[in-house]
Amino acid sequence: MPIIEKLAFYMEFPFVRYAIIVGVLISLCSSLLGVTLVLKRYSYIGDGLSHVAFGALAVASIFKLTNNMLLILPVTIVVAILLLCTGKDTRIKGDAAVAMVSVGALAIGYLLMNIFSSSANISGDVCTTLFGSTSILTLKASDVYLCVGLSVAVLAVFVLFYNKIFAITFDEKFAQATGVNAALFNLLIAIIIAVIIVLAMNLVGALLVSALVVFPALSAMRVFKSFFTVTVAAATISVVCSLAGILVAILAGTPVGSTIVAMDIVAFFGFYITSFIRSR
Amino acid sequence: MSKSFLKIALLVVFSIFCSSSICVAKGPDGSGNKVDVDLAKMSGTMVYAQVYQMVMDPRKFIGKQIRMKGIFSSYFDDETKRRFYGCVIQDALACCSQGLAFELSKPRKYPKEYPAEGAEITIEGTFDYEEVEDGVSFPIIKNAEMRY
Repeated sequence: MPIIEKLAFYMEFPFVRYAIIVGVLISLCSSLLGVTLVLKRYSYIGDGLSHVAFGALAVASIFKLTNNMLLILPVTIVVAILLLCTGKDTRIKGDAAVAMVSVGALAIGYLLMNIFSSSANISGDVCTTLFGSTSILTLKASDVYLCVGLSVAVLAVFVLFYNKIFAITFDEKFAQATGVNAALFNLLIAIIIAVIIVLAMNLVGALLVSALVVFPALSAMRVFKSFFTVTVAAATISVVCSLAGILVAILAGTPVGSTIVAMDIVAFFGFYITSFIRSR
Repeated sequence: MSKSFLKIALLVVFSIFCSSSICVAKGPDGSGNKVDVDLAKMSGTMVYAQVYQMVMDPRKFIGKQIRMKGIFSSYFDDETKRRFYGCVIQDALACCSQGLAFELSKPRKYPKEYPAEGAEITIEGTFDYEEVEDGVSFPIIKNAEMRY
């Protein structure tokens, strides 16, 4: 069957269309905040928070919660606030705190799943959650509505408070001096990041979430220089790579999450070479 | 003020677009072809996702003609004294597998007339949903033809 015909055939399935809608929204949101996180030297926080979400998922599955988002989202938000808003004044500093939370939550989550899980296929459950092999293709309409709602909220906050986010990204103290409530906006950024990480786990799995946050921003920074152009370019790169990754995965039968990340890596090297050629 | 209004308007249009995309999503219905859901011509990732839908929401597929390619597996249930035959597929990471039970239209003797465990098979039959005594239910392909 020719590729276009095969793609048209696959597009008839609702779960493929759901995957594309959710994939585009998640990659758009994660790339927008990715620029801020990379510039604030918090690139690795996505990894830490996704492992926290994995731990919360393990607890939710033990208690057999019908909607595990009710536990995962608040827990991840609380940890994001603790890491981003109190990092500078604590005894355990930024990167060490992220590393500690990251491996701690991963280990405890896996331990709890092994001890208490009633599932017959624990390794399969863990593998799916960590690498998101097909989870994006198993979404229900209600999951998609939740994702659309949360994504619109994230985009609204980013668009409406763009200037304030820009100010605290580059110089928090200066922003504070000019009357920006830096603490409030840091809190807002922490909440948004937690929401994005929880959503992105469905797309690429817990271990690969950082790629969605970091790669588009770093690719855009190779070629573009202003905050606005980097943000727009990062969003475009992220959406194109996710879309291409999902389509390649369903056509070639490869794991969705790692295919998307592979696309992001290809884009990064493309932009890196472009920047190298331009600088000569 | 007008800029903020424009931004909000754009977000509203965007969210309506996404919601309408969800509402118009409809599955491939019986298009008159003999096989309603042909899993044999799908990629591994698509087959896994489609079988997941069939296992999670089997009522949607009852009566549909299914064709599936996978690995042959069998299991003998000591309680019911019944042997189940299955066509199993693995996901792209090969860490998860799922499958559908099947019942041949013309019964054969096991193991003489069945393929070896792990052999690749193609089955074609009618999707059904079987409920057993203790409230447990499972999807099964009935009146199946098997090729290997």
